[in-house]
Amino acid sequence: MNKRGPYYRYLNRFGWLCVAPAMLLFCLFMLYPILSSLYYVTRKWKGATDSFIGLGNFARMAKDQVFQQAVGHNFIYMAIQIPIMIFLALVLAVILNQGIKHLRGTFRTIFFLPCVTSLVACSVLFKILLQTNGLLNNLLLSARIIGEPISWLGTPFWANVAIILAITWRWTGYNMVFFLVGLQNIDSQIYEAAEVDGASKRLQFFRITMPLLVPVILFSAVTSTSGTMQLFDEPNILTTQGGPANATMTASLYIYRQAFVINSDFGYATAMSYVVVLIAGVFAYIQMRLLGGKREEK
Amino acid sequence: MSGVRRFTFSTLVIWIVLLAGAVICVFPFFWMLVGTTLNPNDVLKGLVRPGDEFSSNWEKAVSNYNLGLFFWNSLKIALLTVVFGVAVNSLAAFGFEKYKSKARDQVFGILLLTLIIPQIALLIPTFRLFVFAQLLNTHLAIILPSVMSVFIIFFMRQNFSMFPTEIMEAARVDGASELATFLRIVSPSMKASFASAAIYIFLAQWNSYLWPLMTVLSEVKKTLPIAMATMTNAYTIEYGALMIIVCISVIPVLILFLTMQRQFVAGLLGSVK
Repeated sequence: MNKRGPYYRYLNRFGWLCVAPAMLLFCLFMLYPILSSLYYVTRKWKGATDSFIGLGNFARMAKDQVFQQAVGHNFIYMAIQIPIMIFLALVLAVILNQGIKHLRGTFRTIFFLPCVTSLVACSVLFKILLQTNGLLNNLLLSARIIGEPISWLGTPFWANVAIILAITWRWTGYNMVFFLVGLQNIDSQIYEAAEVDGASKRLQFFRITMPLLVPVILFSAVTSTSGTMQLFDEPNILTTQGGPANATMTASLYIYRQAFVINSDFGYATAMSYVVVLIAGVFAYIQMRLLGGKREEK
Repeated sequence: MSGVRRFTFSTLVIWIVLLAGAVICVFPFFWMLVGTTLNPNDVLKGLVRPGDEFSSNWEKAVSNYNLGLFFWNSLKIALLTVVFGVAVNSLAAFGFEKYKSKARDQVFGILLLTLIIPQIALLIPTFRLFVFAQLLNTHLAIILPSVMSVFIIFFMRQNFSMFPTEIMEAARVDGASELATFLRIVSPSMKASFASAAIYIFLAQWNSYLWPLMTVLSEVKKTLPIAMATMTNAYTIEYGALMIIVCISVIPVLILFLTMQRQFVAGLLGSVK
């Protein structure tokens, strides 16, 4: 674009006009919340009135075991659920890409189906399926896999398993599609060259397919991490407000409850959300370090 | 290899894995439909055989739980968000991509930075803003903050970058205004990208739970996800009616997915390829 003359100024003005509506909304619902949070974080609410307490909210957080446990649960889900899901998604993607000759599209559609359910609908369905006298227990009992019904939603351990089951059901197909795209983008000439060199299928998989898929796996691990950090719908509905006894409480849910259910302390809730932003920022930094170079090449 | 298919142990394993996966993925949908025909006790027990309670469940869902109203609320909110969201975000993306300037690129960089902020952190101050504006418990409160989406701007910008600028210049030479170029020349050739963006916005709003949970205070303003969640946490649960509401929430998205699969997946994954 020519940087001088009335025509350039006209185009430049039109450019600003295009982005103006979005910028207005950005200022209202992004910039203003971020700036006003700097005020809220120093306040303490008691009933309808609030007063200044400086960094008091952070001191309170340091002693708040439920909050620390909640953040811990987020990390536990990341450490356990994401690897399981990525493994399953990889297996399905590799099978669909190389293992079968027919019905590939049909299976891809089927595996993607859980993604059309809202997290709320998914939580509701799993909540009913996982009742003590519910379908899954009946199935396991009649298959003699378990001797007595599991209290899925009533015991801390199994409640966490229930959350992991629900998330895995909901998101495996989603990640599988990423991997499938990644697999299809690998140049078939590489395999042909390997074939000529006498490399076995197994060797090809571990020496060609896997290394070339690493960026895609990393990408899906990163997006899953940020999703897990924001886990809210499942613990609020499936395991009923982070229960039993806060065993499935997550950071987002606890912040919400501090602001809207237990107390209406928006100051404390804001302070805790700062910690969540900080964690998300660290993950985003790691993401940029891991993926930054690859993105540029694209 | 000849045309004869060899049946080996590994193909057996592969098919078992695929079929097991398929059953696990499909079963909850099948069971959700069966559930609408059962009485509450049988839903809870997870009976798989259809019953004959559909009409009484339907009756309850419509009269006791305002199914029609919740559906209308959800649909209205989602469609309005799509209309405004597609307009505002695609126009912004067009401005950022086709009228590049240093200042606008810096603004775009700031937009991208905010992508890392988790939703909950923004929603609490935003809630205070709506308290201040006295707009709580309105559908406007649900729609307004969801219209601008950095992700959609980013997505549309990528797609606009593939549109040849020469064609825009040709239109200018022919005397078309910039806005006419956008509306009549660029947009019509990018229907697939617009469809993906629209589907993404629709889904995000149709399924959204946390923000409506904060802002909806009265029964008549509820959306389907809020209605489902309240019903599930109630003391006595009408499971049959609940299953109908779950179906009403899931089936439109299912139809959207099955009819526009390509744009649907592209929108969710954030790339058209």
